[in-house]
Amino acid sequence: MAPAAPRSGDAIFASVERVNAELFTLTYGAIVRQLLTDLEEVEEVNKQLDQMGYNIGIRLIDEFLAKSNVSRCVDFKETAEVIAKVGFKMFLGVTASVTNWDADGTCCSIVLEDNPLVDFVELPDTCQGLYYCNILSGVIRGALEMVSMKTEVTWIRDVLRGDDAYELQVKLLKQVPEEYPYKDDE
Amino acid sequence: MAAIYSLYIINKSGGLIFYKDYGSKGRMDTNDSLRVASLWHSMHAISQQLSPTTGCSGIELLEADTFDLHCFQSLTGTKFFVVCEPGTQHMEALLKVIYELYTDYVLKNPFYEMEMPIRCELFDVNLTQAIQKDRVVLLGR
Amino acid sequence: MIGVGKIKQYSNVLDKPLSKGKQEVSLSAFAFLFSELVQYNQTQVDNIAELERRLEDAGYAVGARVLELLCHRDKGNRRETRLLGILSFVHSTVWKVLFGKVADSLEKGTEHEDEYMISEKELLVNKFISTPKDMGTFNCGAFVAGIVRGVLDSAGFPAVVTAHFVPMEGQQRPRTTILIKFAEEVLQREARLG
Repeated sequence: MAPAAPRSGDAIFASVERVNAELFTLTYGAIVRQLLTDLEEVEEVNKQLDQMGYNIGIRLIDEFLAKSNVSRCVDFKETAEVIAKVGFKMFLGVTASVTNWDADGTCCSIVLEDNPLVDFVELPDTCQGLYYCNILSGVIRGALEMVSMKTEVTWIRDVLRGDDAYELQVKLLKQVPEEYPYKDDE
Repeated sequence: MAAIYSLYIINKSGGLIFYKDYGSKGRMDTNDSLRVASLWHSMHAISQQLSPTTGCSGIELLEADTFDLHCFQSLTGTKFFVVCEPGTQHMEALLKVIYELYTDYVLKNPFYEMEMPIRCELFDVNLTQAIQKDRVVLLGR
Repeated sequence: MIGVGKIKQYSNVLDKPLSKGKQEVSLSAFAFLFSELVQYNQTQVDNIAELERRLEDAGYAVGARVLELLCHRDKGNRRETRLLGILSFVHSTVWKVLFGKVADSLEKGTEHEDEYMISEKELLVNKFISTPKDMGTFNCGAFVAGIVRGVLDSAGFPAVVTAHFVPMEGQQRPRTTILIKFAEEVLQREARLG
């Protein structure tokens, strides 16, 4: 059987079951509020959000692969494009674009035009250091790690902090070679 | 029931996380099924090394006198394989369906711990439906 | 305007038009998020009762906001003041906005005057969740119970709200019933209003 052709983010989003974004947004808000109460320190909340995103990423990647029919990407450039064009669209219904490539093609930015996590949100003075959407960076990091790419994902711009867009920098640290773990000394 | 004898799911380290047999043939006790899983994990890896061309992703189909074994490995390293009557159709499509059920009813379940044996009632229920003979025939369309 | 004179222009959420609530995300995105909410809360508790309470608290925060949002957007800044009115608002309007459908049923408890039940064959949050046997009667619908309590409480109808699995004859899966037990003051007020 020939492998099925990769599907576009739009086509997938149109075919999957969807829910009102407000349920999603308000539930995420409830999570952030719980963390702020439990952990008190904004820096700890940033860390925990990233960790929760990572936990989601390592699970969500399989759904992404199953629904998108994406096969192994040839390089990191293609990977970044697929995350932006297919990944964000199929899960969150929003489009993202890839820019700011460095010379050796291992670091780029993903810019979000729209971000369903932040509807209704304004950071109070007590939370100015909060990366409210930090869960997203964790999701990308977790998902890529499951397909052998170690990355570092950081926020460059954040509308809630006064910038004009949401920009995530994704930096490829190490591509774990695809060998069987017999020689692995980890 | 399609002529499927058994279904295995192996995690990326070669541990058996799900096993189910359907009917009388090829029924195995727990120890044997664990052994088959880890053997298959190794054979699958060896087949990639043996391949004369690069980029081989391992054995997809093993045909024997008395059974076929179809294997699907996700890019994340989880392997799904069915053992069935020789010549049974639509097994690649069935494995894809099972992969999707796994992403729904296993990975979205907060009580499932990654890489551990799968004990999710909803996964079992939906799997039983998917494997019905008439459903499998529809996959050919 | 907030932010004038600063180097960065902080956006003011009140300057933006209120969303119409037509945007959607995939059910999967919500399911993964909800699953992580449950997993995180499991690490914060010693027993199932506490887990239930924490999920309910998270839901409460959602419910309080949903009431505000819907009263403003859908009801011209008015809200229900009578018991049956608010119950039908939860069962129809709130359910439709949050879960895409009206709840399967709204019934009055047969044994107690102060009890009402909203039931759903398959609660959206439970769609992919198999609750392990060793967790007894625990139901992740506690989050939804919290949403209901948040709406009711913020509208001036304090109540105790809990989620329960109820086995159904001829059905493989139990349905979930959200049991609402109103505070005494609510019933007294209703009686006065006649």
